[in-house]
Amino acid sequence: MLTQAQFLEPLARRRADQIVISAMSLVRAWGRLSKHELDFAFADSAMGHAQSLALGLALAQPQRRVWCLNGDGSMLMSLGSLVTIAQCRARNLIVFVAQNNTYEVTGNQTTPGAGAVEFHQIAQACGFAETFHFSDARAYERALDKILYLSGPTLIAVRLEPGHEPPPNRKQSEDTPYLRGSLADSAHRLKEALNAQR
Amino acid sequence: MMASFAGAITRLTIPPRPCYNFAMLTARRVLETFKQIGITHVVGLPDNATAALFHALAEDPDIYLISVTREGEAFATAAGLWIGGQHPLVVIQNTGLLEAGDALRGTLMRMRVPVVCLISYRGYKSLAQLAAPAQTPDDLARRDVDSVAALLEPTLRAWNLAYDMVGDNADLEKIIAAQQRAREQNFPRVLLITETIR
Repeated sequence: MLTQAQFLEPLARRRADQIVISAMSLVRAWGRLSKHELDFAFADSAMGHAQSLALGLALAQPQRRVWCLNGDGSMLMSLGSLVTIAQCRARNLIVFVAQNNTYEVTGNQTTPGAGAVEFHQIAQACGFAETFHFSDARAYERALDKILYLSGPTLIAVRLEPGHEPPPNRKQSEDTPYLRGSLADSAHRLKEALNAQR
Repeated sequence: MMASFAGAITRLTIPPRPCYNFAMLTARRVLETFKQIGITHVVGLPDNATAALFHALAEDPDIYLISVTREGEAFATAAGLWIGGQHPLVVIQNTGLLEAGDALRGTLMRMRVPVVCLISYRGYKSLAQLAAPAQTPDDLARRDVDSVAALLEPTLRAWNLAYDMVGDNADLEKIIAAQQRAREQNFPRVLLITETIR
């Protein structure tokens, strides 16, 4: 099983110009590692829909890779969206599922099917082009240089130790810059940043 | 004599006159309107009233159709498309709107995304059975009144979502106006489809 740092730090080291959508307990954790203008915190929004927002971005920006850092509780809320993503053949989209088997931000209550659900198998059955699962940090980091650049859609499930992140709020006093503005400000800023880079 | 003879012939040879409904809403005209306002993607889920439109979209080379498995996905995907620089439009049924309320709130509304949402108004005609807007449990359980219709407009008003009705091709200019207003306000706009699209 990986720690949250073992999951995210290798991604932060490899991040270039990808759009990164983070959700729930991964929002602050990613924000501590990255201050990129193409980071977007799917916080104060609608739980369970980060991967659908990422799909829209991936289809709109086919020349750019989109990473969605999702939790297992969030993913369980909209498993059907995996079918939609596969059907759209979003080759530039990677959905990461951080599988710690709990609703971390509300105090680590166990998720339904904890330990039994295999997200990579579900994604494969939905028609994802590439699916992977990792529970070992070294194997995960070794594989990343290859699997981050495959033609997707790709789902990467990573078994994580439960953490203790509180709910990601949006307020001026947040350490993480991308949580300081409103959700609307963040969405419009990301749109402007993407438009400027066209 | 001549007049009665002519009348007899008429009764014998001319079948009953069909009832031409010039107040018709057609997929072809709806699609033309979408193109007129530059829609790039339609995200949604069909019902009987919008089936013809989805058939037309599936065959259309200019507008990308994204069929989702649940309506909440549609709002989040549309938000991602818009942030990424595209011009999406959402088409769902009113039942799906109620199912997906938090996704609409947490994406298009909270992010201030100017997307027009066409919502088919299932049960619209059944509202004629009510003397006043449905208010009581008895009203909402009536066999001859579709409760999703009874709850639709009060829900939209409660959410402060401006809406208008589209019932025939003459109303299609409302789509153009809705998109313009949505852009002015940076906020979604709803159009209720009260007739089956042919």
